[in-house]
Amino acid sequence: MNGRHAAPTPDPGHGTDDGSDPGKAPEDHAGFVAVSVRLTGFDEFDLRATGLVRLYHDTTLDQVGRPAVGRFLADLDAAGGDPDRITDETSRDIARAITHLWYLGVWPQLARSTHAALRRERANTAFVVSPEAYTEGLVWRTFHGHPPGAKPPGHGTWAAAPPGAPVRPVARRTEGAA
Amino acid sequence: MSAGPAGRDARRHDVIVVGAGMAGSLLAKQLGDQGWRVLVLEAGTRTLDTWPGYLDALDTYYAATAKVPNAPYRPNAAAPSPSVLDLEGLPAGGYRAHGYFLQNGPLPYSSDYLRATGGTAMHWMGIVPRMHPEDFAVRRRYGYGRDWPIGYDDLEPHYRAAERALGVAGDADEQREGAGLPFPPGYVYPMRAIPRSYLDAVLAHRLDGAAVRERPDGPDTVLRVVATPHARNGTPDPRYDGGRGHRPAGAAGLPNYGERCVGNASCVPICPVQAKYNPLKTQATWSPRVTLVDRAVVSRVLTAANGRVRGVEYQRYDDPATPAHTTRTAEADIVVLAAHAIENARLLLVSRLAGSSGQVGRNLMDHPMLLTWGLMDQQVGPFRGPGSTSGLESFRTGPARGTRAPFRIEIGNWGWSWPAGSPGTDVARLLGIDADTGRPRGRGVFGKKLRESLGRDLGRQFSLQFAFEQEAESRNRVTIDPSHRDPLGNPRPVLTYDLSEHVKRGMAAARTVSDQIFRLLGAEDRTGYAPGPLAPGWFRHDGRDYVFNGAGHGGGTHIMGTTARTSVVDQWQRCWDHPNLYAVGCGSMPSMGTSNPSLTMAALALRSGERIHRDLRELKGPATVGRQQGGRP
Repeated sequence: MNGRHAAPTPDPGHGTDDGSDPGKAPEDHAGFVAVSVRLTGFDEFDLRATGLVRLYHDTTLDQVGRPAVGRFLADLDAAGGDPDRITDETSRDIARAITHLWYLGVWPQLARSTHAALRRERANTAFVVSPEAYTEGLVWRTFHGHPPGAKPPGHGTWAAAPPGAPVRPVARRTEGAA
Repeated sequence: MSAGPAGRDARRHDVIVVGAGMAGSLLAKQLGDQGWRVLVLEAGTRTLDTWPGYLDALDTYYAATAKVPNAPYRPNAAAPSPSVLDLEGLPAGGYRAHGYFLQNGPLPYSSDYLRATGGTAMHWMGIVPRMHPEDFAVRRRYGYGRDWPIGYDDLEPHYRAAERALGVAGDADEQREGAGLPFPPGYVYPMRAIPRSYLDAVLAHRLDGAAVRERPDGPDTVLRVVATPHARNGTPDPRYDGGRGHRPAGAAGLPNYGERCVGNASCVPICPVQAKYNPLKTQATWSPRVTLVDRAVVSRVLTAANGRVRGVEYQRYDDPATPAHTTRTAEADIVVLAAHAIENARLLLVSRLAGSSGQVGRNLMDHPMLLTWGLMDQQVGPFRGPGSTSGLESFRTGPARGTRAPFRIEIGNWGWSWPAGSPGTDVARLLGIDADTGRPRGRGVFGKKLRESLGRDLGRQFSLQFAFEQEAESRNRVTIDPSHRDPLGNPRPVLTYDLSEHVKRGMAAARTVSDQIFRLLGAEDRTGYAPGPLAPGWFRHDGRDYVFNGAGHGGGTHIMGTTARTSVVDQWQRCWDHPNLYAVGCGSMPSMGTSNPSLTMAALALRSGERIHRDLRELKGPATVGRQQGGRP
């Protein structure tokens, strides 16, 4: 995950932090970010802009342990970097959990079988990892929304057509009205 | 029990108000401004009226896994609040109740409230339609429920006073034409209408003028999308108050801060900018003659000889987490219970007061809610703006009330968050995560596929929220059982609750109407009602399944009427049995119609304030009046 801990990454060119460009500081947790890009469908810029890379990286390690993360990364590597082709159910459940975390800020309950396979000694409960994790959830951005209670778009903005919708409502029942 | 002289509040007060929620705060404001010395006793804590305390509540909300109405507000063992999370549905129907309430009815009472300064109005939606004139006489006109001893015309001036106190934004002309509500000629609300949502506009475009039928052979009902009045800062209307205009109230706890609604889309459970009215704003304008004591749980009302009350006994605690308390008493000429319908009833029952009619605690009502939800054929911009900005008002009254409960249809701006827990549940479903961790998980989709799928569907979500009038029924009730007490030793409420055939027939009609609305909209109906852990309100009626929710609109428990024989309070919300004891709030309402009840509660409280002022003048005589006038700022 963190480059220093050197698990295989699905996309070494993108995911190392060896600082090969002398003009550029090494990126933190480059491997975790590269994996997260694959899992979420959001690019590195979006993910880093949340400010939560480190917290999510640490939460994942904390929740499932380094060996399981290592196996997950190896499985993802073996799947050609495509999470959809991971066949190991434990690794797949870790992929679900990390994605859930990014989209909602919530570490989810793992499948009971995963929980048992990992011999976790903590309770298998869902939790919001921090207040900011909620407000930075990616799910809101999938439809140009914002998290309720944060990032308000301004008075009356709810009256405007969302992106992709006709500015004036389109008739369904009758034609040519208004 | 009494603490003796050491525990007695040294200063004598004119009025004690129990509860610093909406009704209590408005009354204290009114009486304090008239020169009376008011002691407000609040069972909960007072952390919300500082800005850091308020921001802490916002953070607590962000960090809550279940973003339910009480999520931002810290639990308090000394003054427990019920939570909607206390109910659990059983796999084959039925429910189990945990938490503060004990429940033994066929169906669960599914609403919460909040015991803290500001009360439940900290997490109300802020929707303030008036009641319809016919709602005051349902027994006389339609043969069900109970009638008010007063009518719309008696309350109309107080509606205007309440709309001023809460700072209402709305369009009176549209309310008149679209909802059939009478207003004085030329009346405008303090603020211009809150803009309606894009979703409202889509629905209006497809529904306005269309007709639906509750039965194939029934009459046509014509649909019209009508904007809803809000207690929410918008744009002041310069025409208000004969051209004097309106100055909106800013946030409590942070000087010179306050905004129009900026679309946080979290009115329930917390408005981050306090554009929505909350009672802290009223408290900020209290005269110095009003004293608020928090962490003061009133344990009983104290009686004098002659049927009068002399004050209250209360339990003062320091730490809400470890409730050790000292017992104190406070005395006043008039005691006002304003602690919520269920808490008011509980206090009257514990104190063995106002019981001659046998109606204390009975007639418990709510607005049972039926939700329907679906996907529009285009993006509609859900999860934006206030929770609802328009409704369909055509089913609120009319002859059909004789056979089924009337209903108001709120257009839900927040997708399926209420009916289905969106968007969290959508993310989990697409990832293959089942709520039951024992079940094998789906494969799940990731990456762009996940992102695109959510973007396509979440943006098309909408819901309809049907609020039903629930008539007064004496079998629905609050009682107490001395063997079940809270940590301070106060008996917890025991609730017995059910829905009548009248209400269930209303729900059946609503479902039929909803089906036709979805067809008119060309929307994909995704409504489903099945028993399960998240559906404690599941029931079957006439071969169809339903799941109802609570609206947080508890009422009826100290019902108002025309005689001491049949009701608990008179038209002034004064207990028939005790001339100086008032019980105010939704508990006084003999019927709630289909209107969100807070505005009517506020109007009633202000009306009672006038009566209390007269009572005090009669009790204290002209000398006191002179002193008060001298004391006015």
